[in-house]
Amino acid sequence: MKQFVRSQSFGAVIGVTVMLIAFTVIDFSGWWNRSTLANVVQFSAILGLVAMGQALVIMTKEIDLSVGSVYGLTGVAFITLEPKLGVPGSTLAALAIAAAIGAFQGLVVVRGKLPSMIVTLAGLFAARGVIYVWTGGTVQNFSEAARNNWLTGLLGGQIFGIEAAIFWMVGLCLVLNVLLWGTRYGNRLLATGGSLDSAESRGVRTDHVKILAFMLCSLLAGFAGILTLADRPQTHVTLGDLMELEAIASAVIGGCLLTGGRGSLVGAVLGAFIIVSFRYELIALGAPSSWFTTFVGIVLIVAVIFNQYLARRAGHSV
Amino acid sequence: MASTTTPLIQVKNLHLYFGAFHALKDVSVDFRAGELIGLVGDNGAGKTTLIRVLCGIHTPSSGEVWFDGRKVEKFHPKLAIDEGIETIQQSVGLCDNLSIARNFYLGREPVKRILGIPILDFALMREKSTKVIREFGLRDNVSADDEVERLSGGERQSVKIGRAVEFKNRVVIMDEPTNHLSVREREHVNELAVSLKEQGLLVIYITHDIFQVHKLADRIVIMENGEKIEDASTHTMSAEALEEVIRQGGRKVTKKEPV
Repeated sequence: MKQFVRSQSFGAVIGVTVMLIAFTVIDFSGWWNRSTLANVVQFSAILGLVAMGQALVIMTKEIDLSVGSVYGLTGVAFITLEPKLGVPGSTLAALAIAAAIGAFQGLVVVRGKLPSMIVTLAGLFAARGVIYVWTGGTVQNFSEAARNNWLTGLLGGQIFGIEAAIFWMVGLCLVLNVLLWGTRYGNRLLATGGSLDSAESRGVRTDHVKILAFMLCSLLAGFAGILTLADRPQTHVTLGDLMELEAIASAVIGGCLLTGGRGSLVGAVLGAFIIVSFRYELIALGAPSSWFTTFVGIVLIVAVIFNQYLARRAGHSV
Repeated sequence: MASTTTPLIQVKNLHLYFGAFHALKDVSVDFRAGELIGLVGDNGAGKTTLIRVLCGIHTPSSGEVWFDGRKVEKFHPKLAIDEGIETIQQSVGLCDNLSIARNFYLGREPVKRILGIPILDFALMREKSTKVIREFGLRDNVSADDEVERLSGGERQSVKIGRAVEFKNRVVIMDEPTNHLSVREREHVNELAVSLKEQGLLVIYITHDIFQVHKLADRIVIMENGEKIEDASTHTMSAEALEEVIRQGGRKVTKKEPV
């Protein structure tokens, strides 16, 4: 119990609990019910995947602003390459593109000793530009055969009546938690974010650690894009616009400190759940959809203040 | 003193330039196993630069470094660590956000295979690091699972020194190990330095404080402006005489009369 209270995700757990209670109390129209929740959970799963990747990068004390564009580009590649490569082939090709973008950005950050905020901001524009050039402004749809492909079903269909994305998110969350807390790589990632000099003095190749973190982040964002389009295989060139900000907000609400070395993958997923829930609840309350962005800002500030308070109480120097 | 054996580290005519800046000027010095050597000099004298060559951070512009009878061809921190050269610095070496056990094994974590996947061997990490922190006198209520940020300055140094011993290092370089420590902690760290030497390790102790290190060291090497200006046994030169060398340093008058 003490461990849990001190963990970085504690704030997000409280946040989710308070939010669920509040939404249930103010829900006069009976809107906040099971089927809405199922929808919210599905979109949370997608955003949660992107947020987990972002959390890994933030824990190395870097940031990745390109995830929205990578999400879009990978999704578009998945659809566009399908006629030539088939569904499995285009899935692999799209993921390879995502991994390559992540590796390249990571390489530029560590070799060039450049701030990741600038490098990935360039990545944000560049990847979005590639989408426009490649598609000429319109993305085609999946053929009937591609929609009925087994892999499309596995990525975007339903399993036991539950959206497949949720299974993917839960599975990957488990795998990534083992990676982060139970492996050599995870220990070195946390050390890299906590104190770069100390990690290097122990012989840790912090450059490799960061490049791999950027690759994982792009892969997760790309995979989330594929899951989205496998579910609804029609899209637009703006796919994933502003998603990077929601992903960063999710990670931060989930307890990731931008000072590096501390964070939680479960927290990032819960953060995504909070953000998506707010979007749905505001629509249900009849608020103009543009208010959503304002609310995300407010939630973000409240969460950061709360998480800082918890971190100080736990005795962390933040 | 084990002065008859071949040196563990031999530095021969070392020069290092940073651009136009001549940071190390023709430095030659021998370090033997089982010795505690005080490396003394003012800020910018080249002490830390010399050490950074030894632990692989800087590659010398010319000159040679021999380690254990072999000429060092490639300089990289990882190689130095693999050879058993450990540097203990005041501000570097431990990550505040990780537990003592995780810090202890950082960079060489033990794993055991679960379903073929190499997972950290937490039981071993905890057991070994607990043994060391008890031996090296950390508070009883500190456990190996506690984050390093809980520790005092002296406890941090103890963990680093304990780690150096546990991994059977051959060379321990201590860079200003007692800065910002309380009197009792300073004594504790100094005792540890001497005990490392008695176990047959080479200890290089960098400090400003000639009087403190004179009590511990077998030999004192003084640097000034990137040059070695003195290299004397503590049995033949008093701390006062050495202090005078530092005071006169760089004027080249010192070599005439080694008290």
